[in-house]
Amino acid sequence: MLTLEDCRKISAAAEAEAKKNNWSVAIAILDDGGHLLHLIRMDGASPFNARTAIAKGRTAAESRRSSLVWEERIKAGRAAMLGMPGITPVQGGLPIVAEGAYIGGVGVSGVQSHEDEQIAAAGIKALG
Amino acid sequence: MKGTSFALAAGLAFAVAAFAQVPPDPNNPNEAVPEKHTYTPYGETIKLDVAKKAAEAAVAESARRGWAMCVAVVGPTGDLVYFEKMDDCQYASIEIAQHKARAAARYRRPTVVFERLMGKGPFFSYLPTLDGFIGSRGGNPIVVGGKIIGAIGVSGGTGSQDDTISQAGAKSVQ
Repeated sequence: MLTLEDCRKISAAAEAEAKKNNWSVAIAILDDGGHLLHLIRMDGASPFNARTAIAKGRTAAESRRSSLVWEERIKAGRAAMLGMPGITPVQGGLPIVAEGAYIGGVGVSGVQSHEDEQIAAAGIKALG
Repeated sequence: MKGTSFALAAGLAFAVAAFAQVPPDPNNPNEAVPEKHTYTPYGETIKLDVAKKAAEAAVAESARRGWAMCVAVVGPTGDLVYFEKMDDCQYASIEIAQHKARAAARYRRPTVVFERLMGKGPFFSYLPTLDGFIGSRGGNPIVVGGKIIGAIGVSGGTGSQDDTISQAGAKSVQ
């Protein structure tokens, strides 16, 4: 189970990665049920970024796979996947795995999708 | 069929008469037309470091009292800037904290105002029909330099506990 302390670690590391690159993003952390635990919207990031970060993070947390996996499935022609409940099939959401269990997800929005994912990965890495 | 037509016609006749003039209700406090419109103006959206400071103060005060809360900080438009769920805070409060913050920002007043008016009786029963209304204390505008730069919403305990924490957060950045 993700604690507030875990969330603060993830968020701080993700924010540091964004700052290092001079990027303004929103970073959302959700538990394995897709419930919001932590969010920051950096100065200059939009309300849309906050909503999208939550949506990407929820996609990864609930489906237990990167939101990029969904994007690629659809790109490969599985249009039916667009109808999956609560799925935002855009890169930038990663699941959080600890001790072999899926415990949540991180979603980032604000820069290019692969850069959003880079920030999410930096955050999760800090959890150790 | 005939009965229905008659009922419809009677209803329309009443509606037209009612539209022409609604007599004032002397018992309704909402009939008064105030001379002035007093409000706190909006400012620029709260910066992340200020939002963090407000949330940190709120969470620290909750922890000191042994309360598990959700804390949401929004900008003047009610859009989320910062959110934290303390361990063991009830799940319902994730949404309620955000709702209180949003309502405090968009209505430019503490949500306790709504709660108190609701308690006054039937003349205020229109309030829950307003968009984004919440009739529970715990949402407070964050005012800096006489302007509303955001709001903080807290949920997780009783309304009075929530408001104590919310106010502690709002005051920490004044």
